[in-house]
Amino acid sequence: MIETDILVVGGGPAGISAALACGRNNIKTVLIEERDFLGGQLIKQTHRFFGSKEERAGSRGIRIAEDLMNEIKKNKNIDLYLDARALGYYEEEKIFTVLQNGRMLKFSPRKLIIATGAFEKSLSFENNDLPGIYGAGAVQTLMNIYGVKPAERVLMIGSGNIGLIVSYQLIQAGVQVVGVIEAAPEIGGYAVHASKIRRLGVPLYTSHTIKKAIGNEFVTGAEIIELDRNWNEIKGTEKKIDCDCICLSVGLSPLVDILSQSGCEMVYIPELGGEVPVRNENMQTSIDNIYVAGDLAGIEEATAAMLEGELAGLCAANTFINDVKQDERIEKIKNNLEVLRSGPKGSKIRSGLNKLIKGETFFQGGRNTGSEIEAFKKTGIPSGENLRSILPDEKRINETPFALIECFQEIPCDPCVNNCPFGAITEGTDINNLPKIDYSKCTGCGSCISRCPGLAIFLINKNYSENTSTVSMPYEMLPVPQKGEIVDVLDREGKKIVSGKVVKVLKNEKMDKTNVISVEIPKEFFNVARNIRLVK
Amino acid sequence: MMKEDNIIVCRCEDVTLKDIRELIKRGYTNIEEIKRITRCGMGPCQGKNCGQIILREISMITGIPVEKLTLQRYRPPFGGIKFSEVLGENNDEK
Amino acid sequence: MRIEKHPILTFERGKEIYFIFDGKRIKAFEGETIAAALHADGIIKYNTSPKLHRPRGLFCAVGHCSSCLMTVNGVPNTRICVTRAKEGMIVHSQNPRGDLND
Repeated sequence: MIETDILVVGGGPAGISAALACGRNNIKTVLIEERDFLGGQLIKQTHRFFGSKEERAGSRGIRIAEDLMNEIKKNKNIDLYLDARALGYYEEEKIFTVLQNGRMLKFSPRKLIIATGAFEKSLSFENNDLPGIYGAGAVQTLMNIYGVKPAERVLMIGSGNIGLIVSYQLIQAGVQVVGVIEAAPEIGGYAVHASKIRRLGVPLYTSHTIKKAIGNEFVTGAEIIELDRNWNEIKGTEKKIDCDCICLSVGLSPLVDILSQSGCEMVYIPELGGEVPVRNENMQTSIDNIYVAGDLAGIEEATAAMLEGELAGLCAANTFINDVKQDERIEKIKNNLEVLRSGPKGSKIRSGLNKLIKGETFFQGGRNTGSEIEAFKKTGIPSGENLRSILPDEKRINETPFALIECFQEIPCDPCVNNCPFGAITEGTDINNLPKIDYSKCTGCGSCISRCPGLAIFLINKNYSENTSTVSMPYEMLPVPQKGEIVDVLDREGKKIVSGKVVKVLKNEKMDKTNVISVEIPKEFFNVARNIRLVK
Repeated sequence: MMKEDNIIVCRCEDVTLKDIRELIKRGYTNIEEIKRITRCGMGPCQGKNCGQIILREISMITGIPVEKLTLQRYRPPFGGIKFSEVLGENNDEK
Repeated sequence: MRIEKHPILTFERGKEIYFIFDGKRIKAFEGETIAAALHADGIIKYNTSPKLHRPRGLFCAVGHCSSCLMTVNGVPNTRICVTRAKEGMIVHSQNPRGDLND
């Protein structure tokens, strides 16, 4: 029997944060993880995170993972058990059993924090079990952990943030994405993520579903079909798509087996992803000594999981330390979580959390409607009106270089505001607000470009020469062009508009591999050119 | 027409959408009943792939929202383990 | 196929090793799972399903589905998506349920 104050189950972002919150307070903590490595989904996230500066917005998930894992290894209060699978919890005896290297281990913790995360939802369509049909997590594991190309031509099913991000990552890995299909009439994830793949020429089919996978021994194609407003298939709209992989990104379900077995009160809330434990705002379940954190408490994203992990850790620890300083931190985390969830994109999670406990409202406020961006949400491509709304006046356009932030959807994010050396970018008190540029302060330095997690900032120098402008844009592909190289210049749909000359390539350590490429183009294209493609 | 017998709900036990829909139409509208008949949820994945799909099918056919349906029961161990591990030949307390 | 150059990531591969899959010599790098090495070799069909004999391959890659079970060094029902390849391993695509004859 192994005695410990706290036992944390699950070594993903939530579990790591929970263990650290306890370990930092000198509380004896055991962290068990099923895999033989830590990090959960965080170690596959090569993109920059949204959120606020405090939660390290603007940093890549993999960098955050590295730092957290190093801290775990250094912390002497945390005993790490890898390759250790939870088997069951027996509430009467308060014993938690774990299997490690063929040995059954018994733990007797004073408090349990369960952070087992989620698993991917499956989808019903013909031949949905054919080799070549993978979950998005599997695709990410193959390419971002093992460096193995999952396939050559991928059809992505689902346009939530995971579907959009994995599509982008596939292209970075040298894989073609032949399309992203989405059953709903609009994009599920952040529109800026969609814009990124649209600029790379990926078609997006909203109001479409997959009907069947084609192939005998493995996937050779897919048949998709359009859906009407009532989600019924429209006959005659079937389309065949050539691909050797169908990637499913149709949502996650909380992994609640341990909680359900332990006897925690469970409730089914579609907005939270399915069956979740009933819990209070301190992350405590109906069984007093069991706390939860992360996706199994409701599907969200890694930033929320890390905050919930720390919150669960502190609240569980606080039952035997009672420290005023920690009480302040607890309040702060709750506030940060609320801010993160308070924008229009957080309405689903807010509505889910409000159903969690009868008579208790997690959220009083929060905004459900954002700016008018119907077309943008359907296509990932801003409308003419959207674009006009952010351009400075004619005089300023013609003066000196200026930044343009093509961010039209209210999402919780602030790296541009915090990284402008001249304080030209503001968004008021709410991180969900759209950023605004004070063009009298913007010097056109371009340091915001590589900071934006949505890769939505461009720098325009309209009067580069008598007949040409330059557009500076973020670039995260290989190979990186050379100065002087002639490249294809693409519009927001990834279509070639003109050839252009690369006049500047900016890359340094601080930019962490988001290089900035400046390309010279005829003046008429300064507000059209948004990507480049190397000519082979 | 959708070929329901060509859609796999449960990979572990090879159960198709046709099997599930037929059972529901015959009155088996509880996921635990369907589990005992088809072994859906009893294979190596312990219902991770099939569970949600079965609940949605029950809901669609009976008209009862998923929130009101009986949910799947989980029992330890969560996944396959070997007899030697159950017997505890390597454990401290034999 | 393995990714050699990546704009964001660097893959630090371990020592080159070999294992046997259904009689075929497969290259792997220490630290890779059996599934990753098979995939890199272009092998994506793993077995046929228990009752309906449908082809199956990798699906979840986190040890949560039953799609990738194989017999590894005589142990049936091994999840090859989470089992690391070792020098000289003998891997067999198994009969649907696996057997203990080895």
